[in-house]
Order: sequence, then C-alpha cells, then structure tokens
Amino acid sequence: MIEVRGLSKSFGTMKALDDVSFRINRGEILGFLGPNGAGKSTTMKIITTFLAPDGGAVTVDGINVLERPLEVRRRIGYLPENVPLYLDMNIHEYLNFVGQARGLAGARLRERLDWCVEACGLRHEYRKNIGELSKGFKQRTGLAQALIHDPDILILDEPTSGLDPLQILGIRDLIKSLAGHKTIIFSTHILQEVSPVTDRVVIINEGRLIADGTVADLSRGAMGTNRVFVGARAEAGAVDSALRALPAVTELKPLRAAEGCRFEARGPFSDDLVGAVERLARERGWQLTELHEAPYSLEDTFIALTRRARGLKEVA
Amino acid sequence: MSGILDLRSSLVVFRREFAAYFNSPIAYIFIIAFLVLNAGLFMTGFFLNGAADLRGFFGNLPFFLIFFIPAVSMRLWAEDKRLGTFELLMTLPMRTADVMLGKYLAALAFYLVALAGTLTLPVMVAALGNPDGGAILSGYLGAVLLGALYLGIGTFTSGLMRDQISAVILGIMACFLLFVLGIPAVAATIDGWIPGLGSLLQNYLGLSGHYEMMLRGVVGAADLAYFLGLTTVFLVLNALWLEGRKY
Repeated sequence: MIEVRGLSKSFGTMKALDDVSFRINRGEILGFLGPNGAGKSTTMKIITTFLAPDGGAVTVDGINVLERPLEVRRRIGYLPENVPLYLDMNIHEYLNFVGQARGLAGARLRERLDWCVEACGLRHEYRKNIGELSKGFKQRTGLAQALIHDPDILILDEPTSGLDPLQILGIRDLIKSLAGHKTIIFSTHILQEVSPVTDRVVIINEGRLIADGTVADLSRGAMGTNRVFVGARAEAGAVDSALRALPAVTELKPLRAAEGCRFEARGPFSDDLVGAVERLARERGWQLTELHEAPYSLEDTFIALTRRARGLKEVA
Repeated sequence: MSGILDLRSSLVVFRREFAAYFNSPIAYIFIIAFLVLNAGLFMTGFFLNGAADLRGFFGNLPFFLIFFIPAVSMRLWAEDKRLGTFELLMTLPMRTADVMLGKYLAALAFYLVALAGTLTLPVMVAALGNPDGGAILSGYLGAVLLGALYLGIGTFTSGLMRDQISAVILGIMACFLLFVLGIPAVAATIDGWIPGLGSLLQNYLGLSGHYEMMLRGVVGAADLAYFLGLTTVFLVLNALWLEGRKY
C-alpha cells in the first residue's frame, strides 16, 4: 500500500534522512518511532507530498508521490505535527472548508461532518471559535480534518503530543476503532503509546532506519537473551547453584525477596527456560512462588537499539 | 482531467480567504482608513483647484497604494506559514496555482470593496460640476489594474516570507521600485550613469507612464498589457516559488 524506498533528504548540510526504506500493507497500523529530530516528520511530509525527497521514492497504492501528487493526496488524511487550524473559524466552518477543498458537497459533506464530529467528540464545541478551544479539542479538530473525506490512509504526526492522559486514551481509542478499515502510520516519541495500539513498529534514529518489525521480534534482536523471573521457597544457595548448572541459563542474578529467594535468569531465546526451571523445581521439590518470562519493554529495546546504532556509527 | 486551472478549488479557497478578511475588525479599520485618507487627501486639493474631475484622487493612488496594498496581501501566505495551515493547503488535493488564485482574488475583492467606497466622490463631483465621465471610468479601470498589480507583488512577497511584517516591508519596497522607475527624473538620473538604461526601465517596468494615460481617459492596449502582463508574471513566480520550496 505504501512503499518507501531508499529515501534521503537534506536540509542544507544537515542530513535529515539517509536511505530509509520500509513498507506498510493495507489495513496495517504502523508505529513510527524515534527520538525528537530523528526524521519522522520529514518522512511523513514526503509521503504526504509536502516535501520532495532528494533521493529514493515513495509510492502510495503504486502511485509515485512525485509524479501524481494530487492522486496521492486524495487517498491520504494527514494530521501534521503542528495542527493546522484557522483560529478565526469555528469547527463547523473549518471542517466544512477542508471537506469542500477535498471535493465533498451536499448530503455527502453533511454526512461526513456528522460522522467526524461524533467520532472525535466535538459536538458541544461545534460552533466555538477554534482559537478558544483547549489543546485537546484543537488536536481532535485536527484529527477530524484528517478523517473528513474517509481516507484509506491516515498519517498522524504525534497525534497525542501535549495531551493529558485521559485525552491520550481518547485518541488511542479512536485510532483503535479505525483499525482494520484503514492503513495508519502514526509517529510518537512516547513508547508506551505504541504497544496498546499496534505491534508493528519502525524505528529511525538520526535519519537512519534502525529497526522494523513487531515489538517482540525487535526486543529479541536487540537484547539477545530471554529473561525469566524465578521465585522459590527454598535455600538460596542451593537454588542458585542448581539454576547455574542448567545449560539453558547463561546468566543469573539474585534478587531481593520477601520470603525464600528470587532470581533473574537469562538465556538464549531458543531454549525453553521456563520449562527447564519447572522440571528442575519438580525434581528438587522446591515450592515455586514465581516463574514467568519478563518481556522487555519497548523502552529497553529502543535504548539498546539506539545505543547500538550510535556505536556502529562511531566505529564506521 | 481539468485544464490549467481548477476554478472549483480556487472558489473554495476564495470564500475562506475573503471571509477571513471580515472575520477580524482589521478589515473595517483598513477600509475606513483607506476612505478617510484618500478622500481627505483629495478634498484638500479639490476646492483649491476648482476643477470638477477626479485627477487628484487617481493621481494620489500609485503612491498611496504602495503602503495600503502590501498591508492587505501580507497575510495571504505568511499567516498560513505561521499557523501551520500552509502544510494543510499544500497537502489538500488542489494545485498550488489554484490555491494561489483563490487567495489572490480574495485580496483583490477586498480591495474592490474599499475602492467601491470611493464611488461617492464621482457622485459629488457630478453634483458640483460637469466632469468627463470617460476619464472617471478609465481612471477607475486604472485604479483596479494598479491595485491588481500591487496585489500580485504583495502576494509574491507574502509567499517568500514566514512573518507578515517582513512580507509587508518587502512588498512596499518592490511596489516602490516600480513606482520610482516610472518617474522621469529618476529615469534621467539612471540614464546619466548608464545611458539608455533609465529610459529602458521606465518604458518596460515604470508605472506612471502607463497609469497616467488612463487618468487622461486613454485606455491603450500597451497599457493594459503592461498591467495584466506584469501581474501575471508575479503570480506565476509566486506559484513556482511555492512549488519549488518542496525540493
């Protein structure tokens, strides 16, 4: 559906994007991650035809963004990072303007206005001047603008920035409700926002793509080892040496425990660490208080990946 | 497929931009200032000259509009760049030229509203004497064309700039340049430095020669071509600049 190939873009001497490639299939939701200034917005501006790349190509539904930009624009609903609002208009006038500019008219326009106002929760503010709205409502108005023509593709640049937790939840629910019907790319630098909405992430850092895959795959690749927490009502020394003797355990760290003992064990993803510990506990007759895998947070993964990318760069 | 221009898009933009002028009190202040200053300047000379014509009024316009018009057009692009709506406009399925035309025509319509307010002057002059109707008509045509040209320049400078103050200052300077090049004394001075250059600039770019013909009631094809041609040049430059910004 959207294919980004070898994208590069410079602003003066600053290289904003350097050979970035990824693709999104129809109906997929993609979290686009990276620290501030990594090139997320630039990539989105190129996909939406606002900027032209120096090198590489972007196709949307097979249409090259440089060759037929208007056809690409028709398919996309776009919420830029700086929410583009005319502060002197009220929500109705504003959405009406964007709808008409997108070629909607008559009953169809009224129907879409109704839908957007309902979906984005703007009913009570509908006749208020946009300049008087709170940040959350401004953001929602921007989102309504992106949805007005019922686009197949949504590109949302930091849709939750500057919102309070409740508002973030609202936007997240809205994105989730659109899942399945629409292809969505949304960018953020707040990692906790990604997991509830999507599995698939693309991470860029300093203009380069450093990861592309599901959160689970990425943490495997980034962290190298699986992590299991073990708690038992048994003598700490015995448990320690027995766990260390397991071939599946490459690393063992004692943890503090209220009763008995507790450990963090690490080992290769290929081995069944939980199973091995379970068998061991049965053989020895330990009473386990805790045994589970502890998946890495996206945060751990992200930090490991960006560190590694930086390290590679310094070597090169 | 549509032709060179998609007027439906331009109309959508026109409606928004024209309403935007009247969404703030600035529009009314502008129009009142325009009328008071113009009528005031005209009336001070009118009773001294004792001639029932509008030469004084039309004669003031080229200089007066240097300041008035760029102030009307300064917001056209600069405000969108500040609000971030520029990014919206450039990602809606409308060509840059269509958006630009809508904005330009909205500013022109605003100017025409202000200019229509001066129609009391010919009524007054007709009541007091026996003016040359043809000269007044061609004078108004000249005023419209002059405003259209300055607006073309102002739209262009607004597109270059991110803030409205720079846009208005640059616009004033550009309009002033066209105005000054048309003054015979300036042309003669430039001729003194590089023979022929001053008169060349005066003929091709200078404003007053073309404008003054219309004040006298003469509407020549060359004068029409000057105003419409130069306006088009600035509008095309504006669209090209905004397209080129992508790269």
